[in-house]
Amino acid sequence: MAASGSDTADSSSSHDNTENNLQPFFVLHRDCSSPLSSSRPKSRRKLNEEALHEFDDHYLTNLRISAFHSVWSNIETTIKGVLRDINLSIFNEVDSWVHQSFRAVRSCGEPGFAEATHPYPIALDALSKQIFTGFVYTKNMEFVDDQLTFEELGNHLKSSGCHVANMSSLDFSAKNGIGGCLTRLLRKFLKVTLDDADMSILASWYCGHMECTPVVLIIEDMERCCASVLSNFILMLSKWVVKIPVILLMGVATTFDAPGNMLSSNALLCLRTCKFVLGSPTQRMDAIAEAVLLRPCSWFSVGHKVALFMRDYFLKHDGTLTSFIRALKIACMEHFSSEALSFLLKDIDAEDDFQEIWKEKHAFIQDMVLKYSSELLSCRSDNVGAPTSENLVQAIGELKRLHQRWATVVKCLQEAGKLQRVRLLDLYSEALDPDVHRSMISDNQGESSSRNGSFSSQHGGFSKRTSTFKAVHKVRDLPSAALSELLNSWERHAVDICEIRDKVKELQVLMNSEDTKSSGNDLVNVSMRSRGTDAPKDPKVLNKKAVALIEWMLQDQMKPIESFPFHEILCFKTVEKLQTALLGDPRKRIQADLLGFQKYLHCNCCSTRGSRLLPSLHDTSILYILAQEHGDIINVHDWFQSFKAIHVNPPTKSRSKSKHSSTPKKKKDIEHFNNHSEAAIQARFCKAISELQVTGLLRMPTKRRPDFVQRVAFGL
Amino acid sequence: MEINDVEDEDFGFSRNYFLAKESGTSAKKSAHKLCDIDLVAEEELRTTAFDLIPKHDKEVKALIGSYRSVYQEWVFELRCGFGLLMYGFGSKKTLIEDFASTTLTEYSVLVVNGYLQSVNIKQVIVAVAELLRDQIKGKRKTTGSLSKVEQPFSSKSIEDVFAFLDGSVEEENDSFVCVVIHNIDGPGLRDSDNQQLLARMAACSHVQIVASIDHVNASLLWDKKMVHTQFNWCCHHVPTFAPYKVETTFFPLILAHSGSGQTAKTAAIVLQSLTPNAQSVFKVIAEYQLAHPDEEGMAASDLYTICRERFLVSSQVTLNSHLTEFKDHELVKTRKHSDGHDCLYVPLTSEAIQKLLMEISQ
Repeated sequence: MAASGSDTADSSSSHDNTENNLQPFFVLHRDCSSPLSSSRPKSRRKLNEEALHEFDDHYLTNLRISAFHSVWSNIETTIKGVLRDINLSIFNEVDSWVHQSFRAVRSCGEPGFAEATHPYPIALDALSKQIFTGFVYTKNMEFVDDQLTFEELGNHLKSSGCHVANMSSLDFSAKNGIGGCLTRLLRKFLKVTLDDADMSILASWYCGHMECTPVVLIIEDMERCCASVLSNFILMLSKWVVKIPVILLMGVATTFDAPGNMLSSNALLCLRTCKFVLGSPTQRMDAIAEAVLLRPCSWFSVGHKVALFMRDYFLKHDGTLTSFIRALKIACMEHFSSEALSFLLKDIDAEDDFQEIWKEKHAFIQDMVLKYSSELLSCRSDNVGAPTSENLVQAIGELKRLHQRWATVVKCLQEAGKLQRVRLLDLYSEALDPDVHRSMISDNQGESSSRNGSFSSQHGGFSKRTSTFKAVHKVRDLPSAALSELLNSWERHAVDICEIRDKVKELQVLMNSEDTKSSGNDLVNVSMRSRGTDAPKDPKVLNKKAVALIEWMLQDQMKPIESFPFHEILCFKTVEKLQTALLGDPRKRIQADLLGFQKYLHCNCCSTRGSRLLPSLHDTSILYILAQEHGDIINVHDWFQSFKAIHVNPPTKSRSKSKHSSTPKKKKDIEHFNNHSEAAIQARFCKAISELQVTGLLRMPTKRRPDFVQRVAFGL
Repeated sequence: MEINDVEDEDFGFSRNYFLAKESGTSAKKSAHKLCDIDLVAEEELRTTAFDLIPKHDKEVKALIGSYRSVYQEWVFELRCGFGLLMYGFGSKKTLIEDFASTTLTEYSVLVVNGYLQSVNIKQVIVAVAELLRDQIKGKRKTTGSLSKVEQPFSSKSIEDVFAFLDGSVEEENDSFVCVVIHNIDGPGLRDSDNQQLLARMAACSHVQIVASIDHVNASLLWDKKMVHTQFNWCCHHVPTFAPYKVETTFFPLILAHSGSGQTAKTAAIVLQSLTPNAQSVFKVIAEYQLAHPDEEGMAASDLYTICRERFLVSSQVTLNSHLTEFKDHELVKTRKHSDGHDCLYVPLTSEAIQKLLMEISQ
């Protein structure tokens, strides 16, 4: 088949070739052009205007694709780094346990050369048959999130000198049996695929290595393996454990007793277990959100609506980090795809001064960039006139500066909210809301600004910002020690932003002076404080001042990115695009297509006149609409009759009219309807049913119920 | 996405389901039979179905043409490493192939017809690897370094082929093979082994996938690992309303496969290949059944007597050989008569038997 497939290759007009349609596969065309040029040819001047435009587009597209790859690889590296840092302590723990276990195995005695090269296991007592096994509890049912963890764990152990093989449940399937998993195991270590896999091959491979190192086998998702295959595999390994000092690491997603319930008792006897517990998904999510969205690992950011969607997608869709990261990746890609100037992100991201790059690298496309930037919505409303080079460079510098401030305030809020268990994602999406910020400022201008500490949930848009309110509210109730700690953390975050840092420091000084003052009176006041009835007012004043400080930060320093000119360059806002690309929802959409096909075809003949079905409608649509009137099973005979009635009989309304005034045109119409031969109607019916069958909306008649089809979907 | 919306939706969905179930059981089931329809001959039905002029041909073409404006976006997504998943009602074969042949000219494109049962994914993977090797060779030619003759991929293990496809990507040189899979949810690809292989192929750095789905439950084919990390789908809703012509080529027509016309026709073909005597024996049973519609069938002894009388068979052995032939082709079956002995009957309706008798007497 393959050969015939390639033989028919190279025909560019093959798409209407029926022969190709019946080939399992065929080559549509081969790569037939020079590689894409990402550089700009010197002959640009010779091109006419249209070609020039096309050329510029192509050039910009290449720039944007390369910028996407660079920005995304930055983000990806950051994510991997964060996850590695979170897991590092566990990894180290596992590592030392592996080496310790290895020493324990070897302490039972090493096989001599003659013994080791025998192609059969060494007979042992039960104790030395035991395999050291680490159960790594992931606390996460969604295995997809932990794949990377085990990959990293493998790399970590490799770097400390172990032989490591990562295996998954696919290697332990009932279909392939124990032979299958042995073949995979050998492939992992020996890098070759052998038909007659045998443990003795692995033993002689290990024997061939001069240095003695542990052999670690990581089974990523133990619960999804076939229990009997895994049990047998363990039993087999245990017989060879002296020759090949295997140490097992198994990922467990559910409860502590899962391995006990799953493995056979014989296999369990062979395991000497140890437990390790990984961090929870929420903890990881917060760390990633902070690293990717708040620290400027790349300057890519998302708008308020997109942030809300991504938060909801994480919380309500499936709660996996992987899906969140994919959502972010699609958002990033969509941004580069739709925003012409997004390629500048790569340069903003660079360490060097943007101004230099602008002058040197983009010298010849400056006009084009300025033209595009004059079309940005945020610049149109700015009343500044057409953007100039200086304007743009300055604005981008300002954008970076302001965005950094914004991120600092969010981090300060996060510190305050930590004690209330406020999620970073909530704070993040609230902080991005440009409307709330605008109303906050206008409210503040209207009212007197001397409301230090009188913060309320009703205040300027804070009814919408519940998480922010929670965090701020917490500051007011903090005891002085915690408050001082909070101020320290604020100082740390605001290290680059003088205004905030100075104010924090001011408060810290005040606090310290209060502390020294009160420490003198401690002996006097201690009894009063412990009762709490007549506590000194000083700490409350400090809390109020801290609240006033964070309030000031919220109003003056936390301007959402969407309120700046040129923000479109960095910020992705089209939530609809993300939603459709990410979710799809084919089940609903295919049905909706069938029920409302005029929306797409825009034909005049089928415009909805009431609820009557017209014969001009798409056949499959007619059938599917008719199917809605039936229960879960449909009598094919009845269905066919109603289908036929629509085609043969003209719609009732026009028929009654035609009785009175049978104009030649109407007559012709009726003739046209009657012209449908029985065969044609039956053929249309059959075709429509086959099409419904392709979409899976129908189950065909069975022998038991030969006259009925079954509906599969009920409602959208 | 609000919780309330989701709950309302769920509620509406389950309500619809139970309503449909209820109306299916409580309302009297229609007793009409498929064979009550005056069916046309299967051949005629097939030719008519083949020659049907689709409705809204012009509008469908315009709709398919309207997607050309987003081709550049699709290429962008492919070049960024995403797979394209096309869904929506209507055959997307023309659309995707048009996209591939007009916009993906810089890459080699392999088309897999997933709607066929005969697709073998391992062969596809080998073909993709060969294409990629040719593509790389073609590019190297320009730089002057030609690699030596290599082992054909068909003799390598699948792991080695994957390792080749997943080779490192040079910066600034996005060379990949685009694999177009029509109906990745097609009957030949629906099992999990094939989907795992496809997912592994999709995850390779030198392969990009453009696939179409038509089945409403297609998403159930993939787990989260496949969707999020391997296929890396970017979904596009592209209804075309174009007829599923090739996709349904091998689907049985509902009005052709169970109608009396159909079975009578196949029975006639079998009978015509038998000897005249055998045909006459069959006629005896069929005529008896037509004459006694209420009886379970004809007693074997009665059949023997009549056949001997008419000089159709000379012994019980010859009759038995005829009967074995009939039973093998399911022209005649046996069942217990109410008085206990075995009797023979033709498993067709009276009309079908009449048609059949007419056919063979012609």
